[in-house]
Amino acid sequence: MNMQTQVISDAIVRLEGVVKKFGEFTAVERADFEIGRGEFLAIMGSSGCGKTTTLRMLAGLEDPSEGDIYLDGQRVNGKATWDRDTPMVWQSLALFPFLTVQENVEFSLKMRGVGKVERAQRARIWLEKMQILEFAGRNISQLSGGQRQRVALARALVTEPKILLLDEPLSALDAHLKVRMQAVLSNLQKDLGITFVYVTHSMSEAFSMADRVVIMSRGKIEQIGTPQEIYHAPRNRFVAEFLGSANIFTGKLVEKAGDVWQVETAHGRFAVKASQAVAKSVGDTLSFVVSAEKMQIGALGAGVAGIRARVVGEEFVGASAILFLETESGEELKVQKSHGELASIDLHSGSTLTLHWEPEACHVLPGE
Amino acid sequence: MTRPSLYSLTLALPLLIWQLAFFAVPLIFLIAISFWTVRNFQMMPDLNFGNWERILTRSVFWDAYLRTAILATTSAVLTSAIAFPAAYAISFKLSERVKQWLIFVLIIPFFTSYLVRIYALQVFLSDEGIINAVLGMLGIGPFGMLNTTFGTLVGMVTLCLPLVILLQVFSLNFVNRDLVEAAHNLRCGRLRTVLAVIVPSARVGLVIAALFAFILSFGDFVSPLYLGGGNPPTLSILITDITKSGQQWPRAAVVALMMIGTLLSVAFAAITYAYKERGK
Repeated sequence: MNMQTQVISDAIVRLEGVVKKFGEFTAVERADFEIGRGEFLAIMGSSGCGKTTTLRMLAGLEDPSEGDIYLDGQRVNGKATWDRDTPMVWQSLALFPFLTVQENVEFSLKMRGVGKVERAQRARIWLEKMQILEFAGRNISQLSGGQRQRVALARALVTEPKILLLDEPLSALDAHLKVRMQAVLSNLQKDLGITFVYVTHSMSEAFSMADRVVIMSRGKIEQIGTPQEIYHAPRNRFVAEFLGSANIFTGKLVEKAGDVWQVETAHGRFAVKASQAVAKSVGDTLSFVVSAEKMQIGALGAGVAGIRARVVGEEFVGASAILFLETESGEELKVQKSHGELASIDLHSGSTLTLHWEPEACHVLPGE
Repeated sequence: MTRPSLYSLTLALPLLIWQLAFFAVPLIFLIAISFWTVRNFQMMPDLNFGNWERILTRSVFWDAYLRTAILATTSAVLTSAIAFPAAYAISFKLSERVKQWLIFVLIIPFFTSYLVRIYALQVFLSDEGIINAVLGMLGIGPFGMLNTTFGTLVGMVTLCLPLVILLQVFSLNFVNRDLVEAAHNLRCGRLRTVLAVIVPSARVGLVIAALFAFILSFGDFVSPLYLGGGNPPTLSILITDITKSGQQWPRAAVVALMMIGTLLSVAFAAITYAYKERGK
C-alpha cells in the first residue's frame, strides 16, 4: 500500500492508521493518507463504504476507534467538533429553519462572541460573495435548492476556515443545477485557496472537481490519485469496475520480452504492454484492463489476437455510443465508438464482432 | 383551497356529528341560558343582560379570574420546565429500548383516576402526612401544604406532567438531528445548542404541550378544591358556588362562557405564536 502513504510536503490533514468501528461493524478499516493545504480532495465510493464516517471523523463528529488524526500538525483525537475549525456542509444542508438567511450565516460568529455589528457585516460580505445578499432577511423555506446551497456554504465559510468538509452537498439538486454548483464550488475553492474535502458517490462530481480522489469500498481505501491516474491506471479490479468503462481480462503471464508480456487468457494469448511498477514473474496470474474507447472492431492484422463477441445492446452517449457485447463464455465487454465509425459496421442485436486492441491499450492492474 | 371531496366529507362525518351533538349544541344552549332569568328558583327563557352585568361588575369574579389565570400559567410554566429535561433525555440520550419502556411508564398515571390520585396526595401533603413526618424526623416543619396555593399547584402539575412530557418527547423526536450536529460543528456547545437550536426546532410541540397544561389547569376543579381548600375560589369552584346559591345557572353560564372565551383566545394566541415564521 505504498501509494497510500504518499508524502505531501505541506499537509493540513494526516490520518495515521485510522479505524472506526460501530460495535461489531467496521466502518473504516484502516485509513492512512494526507490531505495537502489548498487541495480539493474527493472521497468517493458507494453507500456504506466509510466515506462519510471518514469525513465525520475529520469534523470531530465521530472519534476514531484506533489511529490518529492530525489537523494542522495537531493531534485532534477526542477534540469535540465545537473546538475544531472544521465546518461541514451537510447532505441535508442542515440550515436552521427558525432563523433567517442572515441569522444562519451569522450563527457561528455569534457562538464565538463576535459583536452584533461586526457579525452582520461579515455575514453580509459572504452573502454578497455567494450572490444571495438580496435574500438576507428571508426565511429558509422560501429559497430554492440552489439558493439554500449557497446559504449553507456562506454559513460554513463565514469564519474563514482553512478547511471545508462537504458531505454530498449536491445530491438533492437536479442535473442542470448540479453542474452549475460544481462550477461554483470549484471556483470558490480556487479563489479561497483553502482545502476542500468532498464526499460523494458520483464519479462525475469527484473527477470534474477534485485534485485527487480517494476511492473507498467496504471501509477500505482502494486507490488514491489524481483523476487522470485513477482513470488511466486503476489499481485493482474494484476500481476498474467502479469506473465502469473498462474491460477486465485475467490470465497467466507466460512470457516476458522487455515490457511486452504475453498473457494466456481464456480467450487466447494477448500481448500486453506492462508498466515498470508491476512486479509479476512468469507463471503469475494477472489482470489487465482495456478501456472501452480503446477497443477496436473488425479486421485483424497478422499475428494479432482477437475476441469474438455478440452484440447485446447499445447505449447512446452524446457524440459516441457504447456497445455492450457478450463473449461465448458469457463475459460482458464494452466498446465505445463514434457514431460515424459504428455506421460503417453491419450492426444489429445478435451480430457477432471481432474485437482486438493494441498492447499499449492494456493496463495491468498492480493490485491484483 | 381545493374543495373537499364527498369521500373525505363522509370520512369526517362521525367527528362532525360528535362535535355537533356534544360541543356545538351544548355551547349554543349555554349561551342561550346566560340570558335567562331565574324566578322563584325556576329558570325562564328570557333576553336578560343582567346576568352578564352582575358577574362582570363583581370583584369576586375578577379576583377568581386573575387567580385562576395565574395558577394555570404558573402550572403550565412549571410543568414545562420540570418536564423538559426529562423529555430531552428520553428523546436524545436514551436507547430505543429504554425510550419505549419510559414512555410506557409515563402512561401508567393515566390508569388511575385523577380523583383517586388527589386523595392520595392529600395523605402526602397534610400536616400529619408523609412528607411532614419525614421532615419532622429531620427536625424541620411541619409545613402547611394542604389547603394552600402550593397544594393546588402540586395537584395541577401532577395532573399535567405525564401528558406534557409525552407531547414534548414526541415533538423532540421530530427535531432534525443534523441541525444539532450542525450547531455543534458551528461552535455551539451542548447546553447552548439545547437553547439555541433544539428548543426553537421543537417550538410548536413545546408550546402546544404548555397550552394543554394551561387548559387542564385553568378548568381544573379537583386540585383547587381538595388540595387548595377551595377558598378563595377559582373560576370552576365559583361556578359550583353560584349554582348552589339559588339555582343561578344563568350566572354560572356567564362564568363558564368567560372561561371558554379565555381558553379560545389563549389557544389561538399560543398556536399563532408557535407557527410564527421568521423573516419575510
